[in-house]
Amino acid sequence: MYEIVEGFLEAARLIVTLDADVMAIALRSITISLTATVLAGLVAVPLGAAIYFGTFPGRKSLINLIQTLYSLPTVVVGLLIFLFISRVGPFGFMRLLFTPTAMVIAQTVLVLPIMTGLTISALSGVDPVIRDTLRSLGATHLQFLANVMKEARFAILAAVAVGFGRAISEVGAAILVGGNIMASSFASSTRVLTTAISLETSMGNISESIALGILLLLIALAVNLVITTVQHR
Amino acid sequence: MIELEGVRKAFDSKEVLAGVTGRIERGEIFAVIGPSGAGKSTLLRLIDLLDTPTGGAIRVRGTDIHAETERSLSIRRMMGMVFQKPAVFNTTVAENIAVGLRFRRAREAAIREKVEEALEMVGLAGYEERRARTLSGGEMQRVALARAMVIEPAILLMDEPTANLDPVSVATIEDLVVRINRDLGTTILFSTHDMYQGQRLAHRIGVLMNGVFAQVGTPREVFTIPASRDVARFVGIENIVDGVVVGENGNAVVVAGGVRIRAAALPGPGERVSLCIRSEDIRIAPADAAMAAPGRNALPGTVASIVPRGPFSRVTVDCGFALSSVLAWKVVDDLGIREGSRVRVSFAPESVHAVQQE
Amino acid sequence: MVRRTLFAVAAVMVALLFICGCTGTTTDPVPDEKQQLRIATTTSLYDTKLLDHLTPIFEEQYNAEVLIISAGTGKALEYGQRGDVDVMMVHDRAREDTFLADGYGTNRRVFAYNYFVLVGPESDPAGVANMTPEAAFTAIREKGTAGDANVTFVSRGDASGTHSKEQAIWKAAGFNYTTEVKGSGDWYQEAGTGMGATLEMANEKEAYTLSDIGTYLAYKGDLDLVTIVDEGDILLNVYSAMQINPEKFPDINSTVAKDWVNFVISDDIQKEIASFGVDKYGQPLFYAAGDDWEKIGVTEAEVKDPIA
Repeated sequence: MYEIVEGFLEAARLIVTLDADVMAIALRSITISLTATVLAGLVAVPLGAAIYFGTFPGRKSLINLIQTLYSLPTVVVGLLIFLFISRVGPFGFMRLLFTPTAMVIAQTVLVLPIMTGLTISALSGVDPVIRDTLRSLGATHLQFLANVMKEARFAILAAVAVGFGRAISEVGAAILVGGNIMASSFASSTRVLTTAISLETSMGNISESIALGILLLLIALAVNLVITTVQHR
Repeated sequence: MIELEGVRKAFDSKEVLAGVTGRIERGEIFAVIGPSGAGKSTLLRLIDLLDTPTGGAIRVRGTDIHAETERSLSIRRMMGMVFQKPAVFNTTVAENIAVGLRFRRAREAAIREKVEEALEMVGLAGYEERRARTLSGGEMQRVALARAMVIEPAILLMDEPTANLDPVSVATIEDLVVRINRDLGTTILFSTHDMYQGQRLAHRIGVLMNGVFAQVGTPREVFTIPASRDVARFVGIENIVDGVVVGENGNAVVVAGGVRIRAAALPGPGERVSLCIRSEDIRIAPADAAMAAPGRNALPGTVASIVPRGPFSRVTVDCGFALSSVLAWKVVDDLGIREGSRVRVSFAPESVHAVQQE
Repeated sequence: MVRRTLFAVAAVMVALLFICGCTGTTTDPVPDEKQQLRIATTTSLYDTKLLDHLTPIFEEQYNAEVLIISAGTGKALEYGQRGDVDVMMVHDRAREDTFLADGYGTNRRVFAYNYFVLVGPESDPAGVANMTPEAAFTAIREKGTAGDANVTFVSRGDASGTHSKEQAIWKAAGFNYTTEVKGSGDWYQEAGTGMGATLEMANEKEAYTLSDIGTYLAYKGDLDLVTIVDEGDILLNVYSAMQINPEKFPDINSTVAKDWVNFVISDDIQKEIASFGVDKYGQPLFYAAGDDWEKIGVTEAEVKDPIA
């Protein structure tokens, strides 16, 4: 009990005083996961739309597959990316292993299925009457697609936010392809909130772990707040 | 304006429209009435190119709209449609109404002006910046109407536009329909399951039953001389009596339930017919009252029930078959009738409309 | 239909182009001229913060950036074998020898040593204090397999150097590790994690575990575990650094790697290693390999000669 209380007090101190190491780790987490989210979004939203509006054989099975991949284990993604970008792997020449870029790639792959799937769900959620109305108002095919997506924009935004949540909270892939490096320069380091919590806890630094955990929660909270605000605008 | 020729539509193996034929003239208000599930929505969706018929042809201004796939967009852009469920886009009222104009690449200034006019027309002036989703159902449906009208369609299609609305909103929409048709000359085709709405608004009515137009005509025709027993029942004729035509002294008479009824016009002897008699044409007198005017049908009977209905009472008399009339309370009191009373029921042969049974 | 499909395909292609373009621009993590040195290290060197102490000195002297991936010796060897790092710092002679013989590594230098210790709860439920390591292990196993619920041994279980050493002790005590120790009962538990975390776990479970003295001292403040056995030749723990062979992986950063290995055996750094932690723990965490090459059984060249 004492340990927890003390941990929280120390955590509060680290956050309030903007402890440089802790802030750098939090900032790095946000940067990496946000980049991954944006990249995944740029693929997932058009891809989801293409699958939703498209008519091609195997469409149903593809959607099923995507939904199955929602629960893609992070360490499996990590392992897969590791094998591809390790020096002896097919993309080893790019020397990406143990870089933030590798983490961005892993997180992008990790959140692609859920963002694509939720985009499809978002589009399916648009009232059929809205779609009929758009057609009846004389929309061309492109105008129709654009307006259905516009109508689903908040649900699509939520899909992207869910992706960000999954990216920033995962630890398995981050540690496998990032290596949890704390280098002297910000850009070469790969220590993020989750991997740092894992390390600090294993080293017995409970207060640092708690501080990092609180920051992780605060980030999640902030993302949710932004979404709710946008949705109620 | 719109010609329907043997229009068919089947979903899977279920045939919803089984050969609808009819014409909607330019500038008229045409109501498609019929019971729920009769295919009214399907017919309107086919006309608006939202669905493809499985057979027959729909011609708008002489063009087979489903054959000209190259021109389907420009054909659809001649029409506006309002749906049963009030649905608005999740944006402002002004942007909702502007959508059709933006699809047509209208200039911003023109859009603003037309949106304002349209809102004025539907009585929502000043609502431009409101979030459309926060409006009431009636207001949303007015936005939908403004949205369909702002593109100045030659044809306005409305699929049960007032089915989900409160009475005040219904009156507002009905008023708008009449004004749009009168002021802008828009051809309006709407569907309803409310036969009185059809009667109030339409120049002509098509009664859609079992996938075909059972009857097309003016409201008066449909309500007084229904083409079939089903139509008669749907338009609210209470008294429908089945019988057989017999020749008697050179006059055609129908025998039903052992009772003879004279009618103004009848098919040849031996035909099975249904007689439609509107309750307001039926008089009820005490059994011992002076005889009715000569030539009228006068049938003795017993009062079977007296059921209140608003300020009136519906009196049903058993004359071998049931006939009912609607009388004011005071009249019932004056007659001094109650259940079991012996009365005489009378109606003119001209009030009897005979339809042949299939 | 065809148009829709085309549209779908086009959308996917545009999206893919986009992601390629974007990752392309982010692949360069070093904006400046600094050379990067990637080191895979055994956890003990990292958890004791010895490397945190040494890297700033190196970075300044050589204008390089040191990236440290802390893993068990087993994982470090795996990274080395795949060419994912430039230098390895490990402590498992036998496997190092294989690694060198297979041509993955080159230029091994021994830079430090210390001893493993058997730590456990102060109550010493197996009563093995001051025994030889082999005898202590035998007694713990005996009590454990007999069902004494108070006697538990937590193993690293992660193919690390410490895990190798533990297996060597079981073998020296006359047991077949796979059949007679591992899986022989609830008394023997594998943590599958680093030294620090394993110590934390042993502390929670009031169990015995084998630790390098450095990590144990660094964690001692948070632990209730005490040293039970710390004497015996078999407990010697030798740390070495080696380059990943540039002949196997030509694009490896062999110059900085060489600099690093020479750096850790240099006189100045040997002094730093010998004095590291004395102010904090009252005793050194590591001994410099420098003049003790005979004592730890390696050649003089392996501790003294810089790589040419």
